[in-house]
Amino acid sequence: MTEAADLAVAGLSAWYGDSQALHGMDFAVRRGEVVTLLGRNGAGKTTTLRSIMGLLRRKSGHVRFAGEELLGRLPEYIARKGIAYCPEERGIFSSLSVEENLDLPPVVAPGGMSHADIYALFPNLAERRRSQGTKLSGGEQQMLAIARILRTGATLLLLDEPTEGLAPVIVKQIGQVIGQLKARGLTVLLVEQNFRFAAKLADRHYVVEHGRIVDTIAAADVAASMSRIENYLKV
Amino acid sequence: MFELIGISPVLLFGQVLIGLINGVFYAMMSLGVAIIFGMLRIGNFVHGAQYMLGAFGAWYLLHLPDLFPGLGLPSLGYWWALVLVPLGVGLIGALMERLFIRKVYDLEHAYGLLLTVGLAMVIEGIFNVFYGAAGQQYGVPDSLRGGVNLGFMFMPLYRIWVIVAGLVVCAATWYVIERTKLGAYLRAATENPDLVRAFGINVPRMLMLTYAFGVGLAGLAGVMAAPIYQVSPQMGQSIIITIFAVVVIGGMGSIFGAIVTGLMLGVVEGLTKAFYPQGATTVIFIIMAIVLVFRPAGLFGKETSAHQPSDIAAARPESILENGRLWLAVFAVGGSLLPFLVYPVFAMKMLCLALFASAYNLVFGYVGLLAFGHAAFYGSSAYVAAHTASAFGFPTELAILSGVAVATALGGLFGWLAIRRQGLYFAMITLALAQIVYFYAVQASWTNGEDGIQSVPRGHLFGIVDLDQPLNMYFFVLAIFLAGFAAIYRIVRSPFGQVLKSIRENEPRTTSLGYSTDRFKLLAFTLSAGLAGLAGGTKAIVFQIASLTDLYFMTSADALLMTLIGGVGTLLGPVVGAVVVVTMQKELATLGSWVIVVQGAAFVLFVLFLRKGIVGTLEDALARRAERRRRPADAPTAAPVAGDEVAAGKPR
Repeated sequence: MTEAADLAVAGLSAWYGDSQALHGMDFAVRRGEVVTLLGRNGAGKTTTLRSIMGLLRRKSGHVRFAGEELLGRLPEYIARKGIAYCPEERGIFSSLSVEENLDLPPVVAPGGMSHADIYALFPNLAERRRSQGTKLSGGEQQMLAIARILRTGATLLLLDEPTEGLAPVIVKQIGQVIGQLKARGLTVLLVEQNFRFAAKLADRHYVVEHGRIVDTIAAADVAASMSRIENYLKV
Repeated sequence: MFELIGISPVLLFGQVLIGLINGVFYAMMSLGVAIIFGMLRIGNFVHGAQYMLGAFGAWYLLHLPDLFPGLGLPSLGYWWALVLVPLGVGLIGALMERLFIRKVYDLEHAYGLLLTVGLAMVIEGIFNVFYGAAGQQYGVPDSLRGGVNLGFMFMPLYRIWVIVAGLVVCAATWYVIERTKLGAYLRAATENPDLVRAFGINVPRMLMLTYAFGVGLAGLAGVMAAPIYQVSPQMGQSIIITIFAVVVIGGMGSIFGAIVTGLMLGVVEGLTKAFYPQGATTVIFIIMAIVLVFRPAGLFGKETSAHQPSDIAAARPESILENGRLWLAVFAVGGSLLPFLVYPVFAMKMLCLALFASAYNLVFGYVGLLAFGHAAFYGSSAYVAAHTASAFGFPTELAILSGVAVATALGGLFGWLAIRRQGLYFAMITLALAQIVYFYAVQASWTNGEDGIQSVPRGHLFGIVDLDQPLNMYFFVLAIFLAGFAAIYRIVRSPFGQVLKSIRENEPRTTSLGYSTDRFKLLAFTLSAGLAGLAGGTKAIVFQIASLTDLYFMTSADALLMTLIGGVGTLLGPVVGAVVVVTMQKELATLGSWVIVVQGAAFVLFVLFLRKGIVGTLEDALARRAERRRRPADAPTAAPVAGDEVAAGKPR
């Protein structure tokens, strides 16, 4: 698997101040795959994404992307290598209009989607392009947050709980979008608690507990492993 | 036809014009301050000094041949200065950001203000050493000499140019920030710097350039101001306080607001000069107070940001250095010996300032409110005590009490206004309110302007004890100091004091416990003002003088410096700080104007390297030693050092 790995995370540990949040995460994502990190609140899923992105300062281990070690690099460098991050809280800027939000992330590589592509994918955003970013509904903000990083040409998307707190119809729409992104050949690392949503999309699931990977489930085995998975996720 | 209540149209329009020109400078300066504040969360007190650098830069360029006679350099005129100086000042700004300001982004906001106050003192102090109070002349450029006769008045060409150019610069800045891609980066980074970095934008570099740009604007304003005002080391000192008031009035989050407010207040100031000249120096500060009552967020402000008070206290409550009973006894004994070791007047100065700093620490250290106007309480009490003692013949103790009463009342009023805002705004507001008192004292007749009230009689304590005897006076002052110190210790150890500390640590949580935090803050502020007044009134009797220095903002800065040097929020810190500062001022007196530079450098060094102050650091060391004694067998555990989230610039 490693020889074709797009993103290879090995022995990744991270700290918030004195408290350790990650205890040696090991996983890999191949080019064009959709892979999820599943787990309960506080398991370390978001911390993993933030560590990959360079947003946590105290960390050790390895994060290799396209063969290059990124651990210890600054976020602005990592972004320029083609990794894009969509945070859980969505991070829509209230002092920017929808279109300004959309245009904010700089293009880091050729091959990003054009405005026309994006508005075709998210028709709601086209209608509201002049609105203040945070005046959008929760679902629209989530779409904007995803749309924003499709323009840049990044090849690996880190999506942190894109379905959190959204209506089922919107969740379905976001699922379709992720499917289309996969069809375009993008690599997606998805953090989710909503397993039913993730199961339809992902090639592989990693279960995260207490800051490490405790199980790996391939898409083909999902049906057979249902009770195991529910056990991992139940509160 | 323009005869308005006896004011000639020439005078009226003349004043409006002057007001408009001042307004252009206010707009350019407050624009820079607002951008730096918005992006970097730094209250850039050094902005005035940077404006002054701009004016001196223009003057230097003109006098290049005289300054470097051997090099055959040309004299570069106004137009060269207009281009080169803002770049040069901006470059200095970038360097300052890199060397100093960047270091405090992740710290409490208070440190940013303290650092820039120190930097301003260093820069202005150095220029003061070389140029003194005398202003340098800078002529209007030849191409802008002359003027236009508008019929009712003569309009100098240069002033038209300043208004037009200033407005164009403001409009262009507004356009860049609100309408361009670069501006979008800036606005986004203001909200969430981490995320903007995660998009691939070098936010730290952007912050440096933003600071440099804001500073460059100040430099440009300085060049434009050079032909109108005198080029002097002091030119930035008064304008920065006005600019802070303008930023408070305009409100945060609106570039447009900063520009409009600046212009408007300039005109209002001009009109006041025409109709009520005495009010011209204070009108902006009074407008600020009114705006705070009716629109605390400012005229254009979107909301008051819910900043926490600054928790920068360095004390360890269990430390022996926090035991007030013990130290009260030590001070009583040590204080009784002091006049036999040092000159009594010197010892009394220490005691007065130690009480002043301790009173200040009550607000800054224990409640976490960054007050920057305690000179108003110290000075007003000094004036009232001096006046009642010399003009009304009040007995000494009553004169001091009158001072305390006035300071307390003033503290209640200023506190009532200032607690509407938090963090840096609190500092700006208290600073501006204190300026009202200062300018009042400059103009009122009973304060004797520049001379102050001199030859104040020391009188007899309770009609018996002759305070003209140095030792009698000394022990009276010692008793006042001990009483004040005991009162402060009592306050901070009381249940009331515990609530104050909990406000400092987490105000929303304190509110949710059912405490009306504003009332606690107001009461603490008022008490602190009263105690500062006690120090000021006593000082007026000891030195037999009340002067403008007592009210000047540098006296507020002194209180801050003493508290910082000693250790913010520690019991002994302000006392130690007062001893250090007073000794330093005495020892360095021979250096003359350099003293202010040394004090500014002390500010900078303590903010960068010794934030806990002398006492705070000592308490840490004692605690560590006690810890080692308790567990000598245990190997020291390698605790990971703090330092977690990426230093993206603006702390959230």
